[in-house]
Formats: sequence, structure tokens, C-alpha cells
Amino acid sequence: MIPHDLLTMASAKAMEYLIAVAFLLLFIPFWRFVNAERVADRVVVSEVARRRGRVLDWFLVPDHVYFHPGHAWARVGDGGLVTVGMDDFAQKLVGEVSAISLPEVGARLSQGEKAWSLVSDSKSVGMLSPVDGMVVAVNEQVVSSPGKVNLDPYGDGWLLRVRVPRLTANLKQLLSGNLAKRWMEEVCENLRRMMDPDLGRVYADGGLPIHGMARGLNPARWDEVARTFFLT
Amino acid sequence: MNETVQRTVATHSWVTEKLLMGLSPREYVRALVTPGNLAAALILLVGLPVISYRFLYGLGAVTNLSQTNPWGLWIGLDVLCGVALAAGGYTLASSVYLFGLKEYSPVLRPAILTGFLGYFFVVVGLLVDLGQPWRIPYPVIYSYGVTSVMFLVAWHVFLYLTVQFLEFCPAILEWLGWRNIRRWATRLTIGATVFGVILSTLHQSALGALFLMAPTRLHPLWYTPFIPIYFFISSLIAGLSMVIVESALSHRVFRDQIDPRRHLELDAITLGLGKAASVVLFTYLFLKLLGIADGGHWELLRTPFGRWFLVELIGFVLLPCFLFAHGVREKNVTLVRATAALAVLGIVVNRLNVSIIAFNWDVPDRYVPSGMEVITSITIITLGILTFRWIVNRMPVLREHPEYRGIH
Repeated sequence: MIPHDLLTMASAKAMEYLIAVAFLLLFIPFWRFVNAERVADRVVVSEVARRRGRVLDWFLVPDHVYFHPGHAWARVGDGGLVTVGMDDFAQKLVGEVSAISLPEVGARLSQGEKAWSLVSDSKSVGMLSPVDGMVVAVNEQVVSSPGKVNLDPYGDGWLLRVRVPRLTANLKQLLSGNLAKRWMEEVCENLRRMMDPDLGRVYADGGLPIHGMARGLNPARWDEVARTFFLT
Repeated sequence: MNETVQRTVATHSWVTEKLLMGLSPREYVRALVTPGNLAAALILLVGLPVISYRFLYGLGAVTNLSQTNPWGLWIGLDVLCGVALAAGGYTLASSVYLFGLKEYSPVLRPAILTGFLGYFFVVVGLLVDLGQPWRIPYPVIYSYGVTSVMFLVAWHVFLYLTVQFLEFCPAILEWLGWRNIRRWATRLTIGATVFGVILSTLHQSALGALFLMAPTRLHPLWYTPFIPIYFFISSLIAGLSMVIVESALSHRVFRDQIDPRRHLELDAITLGLGKAASVVLFTYLFLKLLGIADGGHWELLRTPFGRWFLVELIGFVLLPCFLFAHGVREKNVTLVRATAALAVLGIVVNRLNVSIIAFNWDVPDRYVPSGMEVITSITIITLGILTFRWIVNRMPVLREHPEYRGIH
């Protein structure tokens, strides 16, 4: 073949155009293939879950909420005040608590340090603060009826409102969006690994997680199980 | 007298804290006795005398290079592969600082360090290849050969090495505890990143452009006017894959340094990088096909070199492209990591094909590297790994410095 005569050039150019068009046409199915997982998710997620955030193995992980690995959450509200609570996983792990011991208004919190305790069966389990700052309000309704955290952990079951001086720096240390979902998947995986085969049909074999899973895992030392997940 | 004693004690504690990682000299030496270190010591024990021998007696005594084959393993592996695999620095820096993809910041510092050391040891490799190390600054300060591609390459490496050093400076200054200078160094980061991206784009492609000067020497399937574009695009693949491989290894080797939460983040980051790599590989595959069409070389694919070309194209471009996409789709982090290793190998194969295997493909005097060339290359790579480990063990690269937590 003569490399640069007119006919050779024309056929080479035609082939180049064909390759370019083929690239553009094939890129569409390729892109859909790479992103197929997300499309499948959208079909499965129910209407309620879409409104509240994605359900990951039955634990709610709403959008716009920042998570601390110790299963506390933080949401930035108007005026820069941060609302803080325990997440859905935490309340399902511990189940019904008889009391919640919250810090007083004016108390100082440090991110990653112990902030409040849950009491049940005369045992107390601490939880870590997701942010630094000063407590400006305490949810008295939760103190009087702790069951609220089980009913609506991200809404009426909030625990504290905190004024956070280093908000941006604090939020960088927390998980949100896809990272939070990925983290919750990992937590679920850890939970599955801890499941005892004698526990009955609860989770590993397709059942639903039960309230007070920690007690299900180890009735005598459920508080130690909870502490493992709460990092306290 | 008292002041002198205090100063001596202060110096002693600085050395203990910063250099010996809080250990006494005896404990430090004892901690160094590990199987990995013994293997590294053995390599250096053989390799460093070989490098000295090369400087004393010249290229002819050590290498199989000739007038026909003036570039060998050191240029093909240490320089071309080194530069391509160091591309993670500018890829990640532009993603985080310029495109605002902050979720990738946990792997940014290791990527910049890998990039910086990659380039640094490229210069070491060049020094060994060129000889007369005192002449290395000539193109920068003394002899301007402005019509030479080599002049361009020399300036790019010099400037980019400086820029990468500036980008890595905050970590060094945090380690030294120099807060004020660190504040200034951080302010330079955006400017350095922009400058670095420009330099990398030019430099990665300039290495490909070197081969535009040898159209008859390089096999027609590899030679195309697009070769600078190929070098640039494939450097993105190399950079992304290298960050995946390096972060997976670092999280295993330096596990104790890393916040457990970072392990979870890394999985999400790995999947994101894998997706980017699959898209770039898909594009690169079609660009390679354009190269064959442009030269009209389809019939050469049936020759032995054509079959080797297809091995590169299918085994190291199409296959990793599909495996990355499949791994990301299935959220299979292990598969994405294994594919990244395959892609890194693919880049090495490509650079060796262009610089050695398909270069001078039709001359009877085929180049095969000598044992001493191989030992030298292994020694330079070992030095690079040891330096990386020395820095990571001391400076805040994988972990955040407690005083600067959350303000990177």
C-alpha cells in the first residue's frame, strides 16, 4: 500500500470517521453499564425511602445528615446550630432504653469524646459526640420518654442542639452522602459476621434486624457489644 | 555551660523524635532488622557498587547499549515508566484542588509523594544513564538548546520536580513544626497545582514526542503522529491505577498509622478511581484504533509484531477497561485493585514496547539489557520504595497531623 496517495488517504479518513462515530455510539451503553448499579438501586428503593434517604439493610441513612463512626449524627440547622442525635443503627442495636443521660445546657462537648449515656438493665453505655461545641438546648421530651429515639431517631428523637465554633473542620471529620452509605454497609457486614447461628432467623439468613440486637447477640454482656459499635 | 547542655539535650530529643521515631538509637537499629529490610540491604549491597562501576568505567562497561540502540532499560523503565506512573500526583491534585472532588483528598498526599519521588528517581535514572552528574543543570542555567526536545524535557522535569516539592512542602513543614512557613506554603498550593497540570500535560506528551523524531525506527503499529497524545492519555490511566495500587498497599503496610474510618473511605475512593480509569481506558482504546486507521496498518496486525500489538491492546487496554467497569458496577473493590495492578503492568508493557521492543524492530542488532542494567534498575526502584517508607513513617502523609486536623 502506498501510504499517502489520494485513495488510501480517503479510505483511511473514512475509517477514522467510522471509529469516531462508533466510539460515540458505544460510549452510551458503556456508560450505562458502568453506572448500572445505581439504576438498579433506584428501582428497588421504595417511595418512603426515597423521601427519607436510602434504606441500607434496614438502617436509615438519610441525606444531609453527617455521621460519626460512633453512630451519632449531626445536622446543620438555621443559624449554624447543629442538632445531634443517635442514628437508626444505634437505636436498633440497643433497643428500648430506660433512660438517657444527657449533658446539661452550657456543657462543652469535644468531637470523639463521650457526650451522653444510654441506661438499660442497670447498665450504662456511653456514646461519642460528633462535634465540638457548647450545648445550647437539650431535648427534654426524650429525657422524659426515651422511647422517642426508637420511633424517630432523626426527627423527634434528637438529643442536643450545639453551637459549633469549628463547624467546617468538624464536618470534614464526619461521613455523609455516599461515604456514609458505604460506611453503613461496612457496619452491616460487621454485624453479620458477629451473628450467632443459634440466634434464630433474624438477619444473616434474610430476616429483619430486631430491636435490641445487642441483647440478641449476647444477653449477658450486651453493653460490651454496643460499646464495640459505639467506639466507647 | 548550662545553655550548651540544654541545647545538646534539645538536639538529642529532636533527633529521637523526628528521625528515630521516638526510639533510642539501639532500639531503632534493632527495629530495622526485618526480612524486607534484609532483602533491600542485599539489593543495595550489589546495586550501589554496580552504579559506582558505571560512573567509573562508563556505559560500555555496564550496559549492552550501542550506537544503534542508544536507549535501553534505564530510559525505558526508569524514565518512561517512572514518569507515567508518577502521574497520580497531578491527576489527583487537579481532581481535588481544581475540580473540587474533595472526597479524594485522603489519597492526595500519598499520590503527590509518589509523584514527587517518581520524578526524583527518574532524575536519578537519567543521571546514571547520562553520566557526568555535575552537568545535569546545564540545560537550565548554561546551555540553551532551544531546538531540542531534550531541552524541553529537561526544563519540564526540573520545573515539575520543583512544583511537586512545593506541593508536598506542607507535609514536611508540619513534620518540622514550622507553622508560619507552612501557612505560606499552603497558599502556594493552588498556583503550584495549576502550574503542575500544565507542565505534566506538556511533559508526558513531550516524552511521546521524542519518538516522533524516529519514524523509521519505531514499528509502524506503534509509531503514529498521535504518539504524544497516547503518552498523555495513558499517563492518566497510569496515575489513576497507581494511586489505587499504592493506596491499597499503604493501607496494608502502614495499617497502624491510619484512622479505621479511612479504610472505609478508601473503598469508596477506589471505586471512584476505578470508574474514571475505565472511562479513560475506553477512550484510549478508540484512540489506538484511530492510530492504526490513520497509518493504514491493519494488515500488519497479522504479523508477529501485530499479534504482540494486539496482546497489548486487548490484554492491557480492553480487558482492564471491562474489568474496571465490572468491578465498579458490582462494587467489588478487590477486583478493581487487581485490575489496577494489571493496568500498571500494561503501562510498563506499552512504554517498553515503544522504547525497546518495537524500537529498532527491523535491525539485526537487537538490544537485550545486561544483568548489570537490570540490577541498576532494581536498585533505583528499591531506593524509591525505601525513601517512600522513610517519609511515610515520619511525616503526616497517610495520617493527619493532630495539630492540623481538618484544615488541609
